[in-house]
Amino acid sequence: MIVLSQMLDFCGIEKERLRARWVSSAEAPEFVEEINDFVDILKKLGPSPLGKEQVEAVA
Amino acid sequence: MIDQVKQKINDLLSNGSVKGVVALVHTNGNVAPCLYQKGDDLDKLCLGDTDSAGDARYPLNKVLVTLSRQYPDEVFGVLVRGCDERGLYGLYRLNQLDPERVVPIGIACPQSLALQCECKKPWPDDMMAGETSEGIDQKGVANAESNSHSERFSYWKGQFLKCVKCYGCRDICPMCFCRECSLECEDLVSKGDLPVEIPVFHLVRAMHMADRCIDCGLCDEACPADIPLRLLYKKTAQIMNTEFGFTSGIKKYEKSPLSLMGPAPEK
Repeated sequence: MIVLSQMLDFCGIEKERLRARWVSSAEAPEFVEEINDFVDILKKLGPSPLGKEQVEAVA
Repeated sequence: MIDQVKQKINDLLSNGSVKGVVALVHTNGNVAPCLYQKGDDLDKLCLGDTDSAGDARYPLNKVLVTLSRQYPDEVFGVLVRGCDERGLYGLYRLNQLDPERVVPIGIACPQSLALQCECKKPWPDDMMAGETSEGIDQKGVANAESNSHSERFSYWKGQFLKCVKCYGCRDICPMCFCRECSLECEDLVSKGDLPVEIPVFHLVRAMHMADRCIDCGLCDEACPADIPLRLLYKKTAQIMNTEFGFTSGIKKYEKSPLSLMGPAPEK
């Protein structure tokens, strides 16, 4: 995880787009909170720069 | 230097301590890997020097791994430069070679080659010929990081788009030995599609190189699209070093932190 998130950053991709958390199946509220938090961050970041159209535009 | 190497190979072969020696041969105007056995002519032996010193390099360790899979009980000698020796250490650690069954014949690289390869340690620990030249400071990663996030993104996107998926980087890599490669798993990488999935394809390889890459630079030389792969793997190696204090191929029996379970080891 540490290596991959830093590699993404090195390649110019926001490292916040990658996340790994351990949540037990008995911890539904934690899971919901985690997902909501992640979704909020992704919304703020906007669409991925790796979207199909944008990659093709360069190619 | 070459006479010393010839002498050493001759000694090893004639006293029977090795079954064969993996080195290079200069034949038909080309340099190629070659297995020398007892009674073979050592006249054409070469250290990979054509126009300048060491300009023809081959992953001899890779040949050695193939050989030792076929003949697991035999002892082989191998010609190694500083990078190759780091590779040997890595392959010992990953149980691909048995240190008891490998006799390295170490040669140092001249300063010109060290400079050209931007090599941090252009000499093997176990050296029998040549003079130690100075290691070169590497600036590639720091230079790349001085660019902004978006510059880096467009730079790497442009580089990755050039990939023709020839697998040359994997095939030349002395540290790539898996019988099944995840880059050929059809569930992960669809066959025949170009451009490759960005940045997944290249980052998968970079991740696999994290605790293996010995910074020999053969991938850069092999890549027909001139993608700066070595820079990418240098970055992974740097992360491994700053986060875990680990550098591939520096210490002989050091385990990789990626092969341990639990908290990060003390630096």
